[in-house]
This record gives sequence, C-alpha cells and structure tokens, in this order.
Amino acid sequence: MASDEISRRAVIVSAALVPVVALAQTATPSALSDAQLRLVAAFVDRLIPKDELGPSASESGVPVYINRALGDYLAGEKTAFVEGLEATDALARRTQNAAFADLTAAQQDALLTSMDNGSAEGFPTARAFFSRARRLALEGMFGDPYYGGNKNFAGWDLIKYPGPRLATSADDQKMGVEIKPYHHSAYGSADHGH
Amino acid sequence: MAINLKPVDVAVVGLGAAGGVAVLPLARAGLKVAGIEAGTWMDPAKDFKPDEIHNNVRGLVTTVPKAKKEIPTFRTSPDAQARQGATHPMMNAIGGTSIHYHAQSWRLKPWDFKSRSETIKRYGASLLPQGSTLEDWPVSYEELEPYYDTVEHEVGVSGKAGNIQGTLDPAGNVYEGPRQREYPMPPLRTCDFLDHMHKAAVSLGWKPFHAPSAINSQPYRGRAACAYHGYCDRGGCHVRAKNSTCFTTIPEAQKTKNLTVFDHAQVTRIVADGNGKVTGVLYIRDGKEYFQPAKVVLVSSYTYENTRLLLLSKSKAYPNGLSNNHGQVGKHYFGHWDAQAGVGVTALFPMDVNTWYGAMLSQGVVVDEWADDSFDHSGLGFIGGASLCSFMEKHPIAAASMSTFGRAPAWGSKWKQFVHENAGRWTTSYLQTNSFPYENTYLDLDPEVKDPLGDPVCRVTSGPKENETRAAVYAQNKMEEWFRAAGAIEVVKGQPFGPALSTHTYGGTRMGDNLETNVVDRWGFSHEAPNLGMLGGSVFGTSGARNPTLTMQALAWRTAEHLSKNWKAIAGS
Repeated sequence: MASDEISRRAVIVSAALVPVVALAQTATPSALSDAQLRLVAAFVDRLIPKDELGPSASESGVPVYINRALGDYLAGEKTAFVEGLEATDALARRTQNAAFADLTAAQQDALLTSMDNGSAEGFPTARAFFSRARRLALEGMFGDPYYGGNKNFAGWDLIKYPGPRLATSADDQKMGVEIKPYHHSAYGSADHGH
Repeated sequence: MAINLKPVDVAVVGLGAAGGVAVLPLARAGLKVAGIEAGTWMDPAKDFKPDEIHNNVRGLVTTVPKAKKEIPTFRTSPDAQARQGATHPMMNAIGGTSIHYHAQSWRLKPWDFKSRSETIKRYGASLLPQGSTLEDWPVSYEELEPYYDTVEHEVGVSGKAGNIQGTLDPAGNVYEGPRQREYPMPPLRTCDFLDHMHKAAVSLGWKPFHAPSAINSQPYRGRAACAYHGYCDRGGCHVRAKNSTCFTTIPEAQKTKNLTVFDHAQVTRIVADGNGKVTGVLYIRDGKEYFQPAKVVLVSSYTYENTRLLLLSKSKAYPNGLSNNHGQVGKHYFGHWDAQAGVGVTALFPMDVNTWYGAMLSQGVVVDEWADDSFDHSGLGFIGGASLCSFMEKHPIAAASMSTFGRAPAWGSKWKQFVHENAGRWTTSYLQTNSFPYENTYLDLDPEVKDPLGDPVCRVTSGPKENETRAAVYAQNKMEEWFRAAGAIEVVKGQPFGPALSTHTYGGTRMGDNLETNVVDRWGFSHEAPNLGMLGGSVFGTSGARNPTLTMQALAWRTAEHLSKNWKAIAGS
C-alpha cells in the first residue's frame, strides 16, 4: 500500500499544473465600453450583491470575466449581448427615466424581476437575456480565477468549494467536516491576471 | 484525383473506444493495420485541466472541428423539420470519447441479449414494447464472456465480482451474469457519502455495490491509480488513470509495429468494387484526398458516423449505400433513456454531503434491483427498468446553478444565503433505462443540412416510447425512495422526454442472423459486403440499463479475433 502511494505521488508531481507564465493572457482591447461595463457591474451586483456573506459580483471580477469572454471565446455572442445591455438601459430610461446603473437598488431589482419573469414591456427578449447574463455571472463568480472573475476566491468561499487539486485523499471526501480551502487556480496561485 | 497509398491488410476507421481496442488483436496477429482517425493525440499535461470552464462550460476537451461541422439533425416525428443542435456529443481524437467518458465499465446482463424471447416466455408477447423491432441478439452473454474478461484485463477495469461461476458475492452485483474470475483491480475508493447511500439502500432491503470502472484503483500496467481530483467529467485524466484507449490498447498495438496511425485523416467514403467487396477508404488530410487500399475495412466511428458513412458510400453494387441493399442501414436506431433523456433525480440533504471530489460515475454506488428483468414485471405494463447510481464529483459553477427547490429566489442576497448553505448539500443521480429499437426511430441522411464538404449530415428521427417512459418513471420513484431513505429533505424528478443526440446511441447497423432485418452478422461482418466489419454501439440490438463501452470493446475484440482467425475466408485472395 505504501509503495502504491509513493508511486502515485511521483506520477502526480510529474504531471504538475501548467505554469502560469505559459498561459498568461495577452492584453486585448476591451470588448465592452466603460459605460457598458458600468451597466454590467450594476446588473450583476443585484444578482450577487455585497452583503455579510461576502463581496459583490463586481468586487469579485465578474464584469472582467464577461468582458474577456466576449472579447475571445464568446466573441460571436458580443453583438447580441450588447443589444441586450442596450435594451436593458432603454427599459430603465423608459420606465424610470434614468440609466440602469443610476437607479436605486430597489428600482434595479424591480426592473430585473420584470425581465426575469418576462413581463418587461417593449423588451421581448428580456427573459432570454436575463437568463444568459445570470449564467455568465455564475461562470465569472464560480469559475477559475484565471478567467478574470472569482477574485480572491470569493465565489468558491461563498459556496464552500474547497478548490481544485491534482489529487485528493479519503479525508477530503469526508462528510460533516470542514475541508480546508485550497486557494489556487488550476493555472497556479499568482494574481491570475487581475 | 486521390493519392494512392501502400495497401494494408485492415483499415480501421476511427480510433476511439471500439476501434482503439480492435487494433490490438489485429496487430498481435501480425496483420498490417492502418488506424485512420480524424483527430489527433491529446497531451495529458497540456490538454487535461481541473478547470470547469475549460472542460464543461466551453467543452474544450470535447469540442473538435470535425465533429462540430457534422452535427446530426434531430426531430421527434417524420413529419417534423429536423434541426441541427449546437454540439456533437462525441469527439475526434486518438482514444475518441474514451478520453473524457465516465468510464463505468459494465457487462450487459444475459437477459439483454435475449430480451424478446425471455419476455415472451415469462410474461407473454403482449408485454413486448408496442411498435418495437426488438430481436434477440445473435450472440449470448455466455459467448461474449471470454471477450469481456479479456478486455477487462487488457484495458484495465476496477470492480468487485458479484457472480464468479455461479457463486454469488453480495459485495459485488449479484444480478450480473456469471464471470470466470474476479476483476483485475478492486473497485475505486469508497467515501463517507457513498457509504451513507450504501447503508440507505441496505436499509431498503436492496443490494448496493460499487460501480465497475475502467479507472485504475491501484497502479496497473505502468499507469497510476486514480487521484480522485474531481475533473473526470468531460476531461481527460492527467495521471492516465482513466484507461482510455490512447493510453492502453493503441500504444500496445503500436509496439508490434503492425499498426500505423494516420491522424487528422477524415474518411469520406468506403470504396467497393463491382462484385460488392470493399477495396479501401478515401480520406482527406490537409485538403488532399488519399485512397488507402485495404483487404478488410472495419468501421468504428460511432453510431451516427458509422451509419452516415455507409449511406454516403454509394456504388454500382450498392446504389442505396454500402451494405444497404436490404434497406436496413439506419434502421433499429435508438438512444438510451438516461440523464441526457431527462431521466434525472436530484436531492437536497440537511447536511454537507461533500461530493466535490472523486471520479464521477466510476466512484459510485449502484442499485440494480430495478433494472432489466431483476424484478417481476407482471401487471406493470413495461419491460426493463433502470440501474440507479449515486456518485461523486461536483463542480462549483454547476453547484451554484442548483435548483433552489422552491426554498429561495434565483438571485439576490436570499439566493446567496441559500447557495452558501446548500451548494454542498445537494447531489444528483444517474439512471440508465433499458431501451429498445422501434419502427418510429431511425437514422438517414438529412435532405438539406450539409457538412463543409457538401455531404449531408446524419438525421435522427426519434418518436415517443411508452415502454421506456413507464420504466424510467418507475425507476425514478425507486431513486426517490433511496434518497429519502438516506435522509434527503427535497427530491426533484426530471420529466423523461426521451433521448435526442446522445453519447449512448445504438443500432443503425444492427447485428443479427436475419439479413432482412440486420446489417451485420453474428461476428460483426456485413451480410452483403463480406470484408466490411462494423464496430461500436451501431451493432447493438438492446442497450441494457448500463453504460455501453465495455460491451462495444468486447464485441470489437471478438470481431477482430474472428477476422484474424478466418483471414483468408474474409479477406479473400
């Protein structure tokens, strides 16, 4: 048994995590404008607000995640996403006479609720856009910090996910015990491009 | 004009779970084999990461250009317009989908091979699923047993036997068919949650056991044991503990120097002569067309592409597609009624279950009392059932995307509070329902949608099934009972809607003695083109209530061995 453990560890070490340097993101132009980013931040902060359980989505880099994704992997989706942002702002101006980001939290919640349940007037794709934005917010908040979100591992700490590792022991799979969080990205423990 | 290559004995189209196994007995028998694969080698150090966005959200291990460009279209009725989805369930690579699969490695039950005759014998013909084209397989479990045994050892399967030559052991699956010996490795590690579920099943009088899996529970043949890191789903194994064919049988076959791997090679046609014998395959690599002459062609490119390749390969001898002079190619197709078909059950517990890490279904506990014909179906109105599996591995985005079970809103501070408490307290289960072929379910070529080469993609037509719906709902209720016995405070059952595109699909080139209703014979060779063999799920006549890969591999080994032992008769002079 002991020799099995040793050989297993040897193999795991040899397949060590990919160095951060090799995968560092190169600077690319921002997919969203400053105004659009401000709207995204206001939007996702109502989905994941700052409270006694921890930081908000924007404090955790969720807009950075969304901006980066729309600039590379989701570039094909950018136009539709920007249209959704514009329609959200148009809805805010139409119903509340102000940009979404300038509304009170309660006004923003009311507006997002109307989008979520499909009752937002003059915004037929509101439900689909809300659902997509929520999905991207979850990806940013709970995905690997390498992609720009989940800053300081706030998302993983919120749901008590102990973090990716290359190997786990039987103790790491115990019920009813606090598993010590391992604050590492799959790509190393540096600043993940923040 | 295609570039002619040096002739080989056997061309194997697709080096995945099935083709990747067949090359080994062929190469060992001294046959010169060309392994032709649309994808290429993957590098465990670079390609396999503990990263949910990479593996699951973006599907970067599984999404590869060829498969993406030929996604089948789907419809639920012959009158409907078939639509193309966004992703192909399978991938192209050396090792194919065995790279990222969940690796549960089951033998089918003796009943699965003769469901028709056994149903008639026990319940009468009236219980046969209406509209089904179910036949007994031409192969019995007993005939396949030695091949299961070979593949379990060659690929490497971990598990606990429940029936060795008739002696039952409740630590394993007592409902399995008799096996000649124990698995080569013990099951993967158990853990608190699995022990908890195991105990709950025992309290119901059931006989739970640990799932068999093609993942090393201990170092095996120079490869490491599982590290249980929790990124097995849609990811390859960074320590090569998952016994994908790219780590096992393919390199083993290369050692003989009889296997040449041609990667990035997309096979477009199988060529046949005027006498109906196949002469080789055409493939495209880097924009150039090549002809690989071969005395025998084995097609192992997954159910959809196996069928499509035959239908596309028209010739004088086969005007309706290769081996389709009886109109059976594409018929008797069916998908598995599993989680991909809406047969899910999810539960919320009042305590942290800590299922974050592990090895997906392979680190799981299974209940088999409600599958196959393990229970009396009199008066139930269906045959079959489902295996129930409770398993480990959960990723953070998926965990936070949990159902709030009606207990909280889906966003805002109250939602935050809810996922803070409950993201670690929910789990799901995997149910696989016995599924059968039907007249209303088949594959053909799409009349409109084409791939970039101008060839039509595969079209899937899959109609409703009363038998499978009833069996799935029955099994879901059993899963709920199991979760409740384990202390779940909420249970949500999915609505079984039936399989669409899936990684568990069967038929299209079904195996059977009757050439009027089957494409290949009992050895996997075409009834019409004697030197053409088919490998993979496309030859299955039933699904069983469990993952298909080990059975595909046992059949692939058997077809390859039959070929090498009967080389002159099959290959001709």
